[in-house]
Amino acid sequence: MMTPFYKYGLFGDEVSLLVAFLLGLGFGFFLERAGFGSARKLAAQFYLYDMSVFKVMFTAIVTAMLGVTYLGWLGWLDLDLVYLVPTNLGPQIVGGLVLGVGFVVGGYCPGTSVAALATGRLDAVVYALGIFAGTFVYAEVYPAIQGFVNANAMGQVTLPEVFELPWGLVVFAVVVMAVVGFWGATLIERRFRSEP
Amino acid sequence: MPPGAGAGPGSPYLNPYLAGMGLGLVLLAAFVLVGRGLGASGAFSSTLSWLVNLVAPAHAQANLYMQDYLGDGTTHPLKAWLVFEVVGVAAGALLSGLLAGRARFTVEKGPRVSTAIRLVCAFAGGILMAFGAHLARGCTSGQALTGGALLNVGSWAFMLMVFVGGYAVAWFMRWQWR
Amino acid sequence: MRVPQLTLNQKLAAVALALGAVALFSQPHRGPFVKLDARELALVVEQEVDHVKPAELAAWIVEGRSDYRLIDLRTTDEFAAYHIPTAENAQLPELADYPLLRNEKIVLYSEGGIHSAQAWLLLRAQGYEGVYTVLGGLDGWKDEVLFPVLPVDAGPRDRAQFERAAALAQFFGGQPRTAGAAAAEAPATALPKLTAPVATGPAVPAAPRKKKKEGC
Repeated sequence: MMTPFYKYGLFGDEVSLLVAFLLGLGFGFFLERAGFGSARKLAAQFYLYDMSVFKVMFTAIVTAMLGVTYLGWLGWLDLDLVYLVPTNLGPQIVGGLVLGVGFVVGGYCPGTSVAALATGRLDAVVYALGIFAGTFVYAEVYPAIQGFVNANAMGQVTLPEVFELPWGLVVFAVVVMAVVGFWGATLIERRFRSEP
Repeated sequence: MPPGAGAGPGSPYLNPYLAGMGLGLVLLAAFVLVGRGLGASGAFSSTLSWLVNLVAPAHAQANLYMQDYLGDGTTHPLKAWLVFEVVGVAAGALLSGLLAGRARFTVEKGPRVSTAIRLVCAFAGGILMAFGAHLARGCTSGQALTGGALLNVGSWAFMLMVFVGGYAVAWFMRWQWR
Repeated sequence: MRVPQLTLNQKLAAVALALGAVALFSQPHRGPFVKLDARELALVVEQEVDHVKPAELAAWIVEGRSDYRLIDLRTTDEFAAYHIPTAENAQLPELADYPLLRNEKIVLYSEGGIHSAQAWLLLRAQGYEGVYTVLGGLDGWKDEVLFPVLPVDAGPRDRAQFERAAALAQFFGGQPRTAGAAAAEAPATALPKLTAPVATGPAVPAAPRKKKKEGC
């Protein structure tokens, strides 16, 4: 039983598009369940009285991370075949900063904006239009900034590889950090909610 | 009730940890079924490239960035994995919203800001977000969630910076949300 | 003694920590060790579904098929001097890390057939299913495709077959021969230049402007 199924030829491109839709269905469902169809709830993360973004994001990461770890360990998933976005440290650091600013200014990220506009948020529609505009500008300036965009290429690397630590140790560390982080986040929430 | 926590009509939100687990399982399913993670920003790139190609094909096909999303013309640019996934996101969110009574036409904003200004900020935020996501080759869905779970170096660096960037400007944008 | 009641969140945290702790010992990656189904592999070899004939491969190239990956296992110099059109160059040690998809046809060849047979086994052992060798390797390619020989006492059917083979040979820049006459000549020195009329053997697997498939 080798997975990823698609990479072993179990189904072709057409079916994978259907799978994409179904996965998106689950994705959007849980995003909205968590309240991420609301810009105010999302932005609240950065005002410290609602740390749901942090909690949801890292719970998802820990869940999937433990999942691939155990499935790979059991030999049920070929982890080498799961696509890893190549690392380009410089642009990704800058991109993260810009995205963070965009998050607080706009109130969404691309995925949550889709979830929000589907539930009727007009600001999410405008936000999505902004993404289109921004993408267009980016595409126009891309030839000029190409050098930077492709800088610091490290290929497909994982944290265990770069720090030369066993995979399991990094997994454990992430779990511990997450649990401690959640406990701390709850404390922070209580503190900032009691303030006027 | 503190603003942002289940504000407005409709059912209270799901326990964040349970919602996170749900998301994590969907992500895991993506890994197991298709060998890739989730995403969102790529769908916007595909759609934009398709639109520009409709209006100004020569320009689109000559553009270095859009070329990647248009391909060699054998497949329709909208026949992309992420486009289908994002349509699913909309459908799933709508379903959840309807079930919980949280779907309604509204503008999300803080009490002190006008709708017009909020919309301007939303547009500006979208532009910034586009730059951020394309520079980083992904957004919070693709990089933070997917790459985070796979312990991808670039993704973790990106994730960290998203929080840094957000908290850095939060103070200056508080008039929009508080 | 009463056990304190844990909240849901606390239970979740406990489960996560437990799973994380066990994961300390995990080795989720495949690693270089493989499991072989010896019986299955023996059967594949016996049924001769593990190779393709050079003429078959030639037909695929002429048809312009793109559903296979042709891998030349020889050295870079040998590859540069001549290689079968549409072939990519990869030596045995790097084959394990070479970007091959599990669900595509992989055709291997070397000078004769030994290295390609070994590579075949290694790839099969790592879980690749559609792996084939070119029967006879490059030598077989030369004999069957590039320099087909018309036997001395050829009947009409043999002649017809030779005509087809000759046409194929011309396509690849080879040279059909009649037996006896120039048999002594070493056709090895007359290997066609790499201006083959077919699509160039790309070093990159994907067709040039293929759509961005992965990534976000």
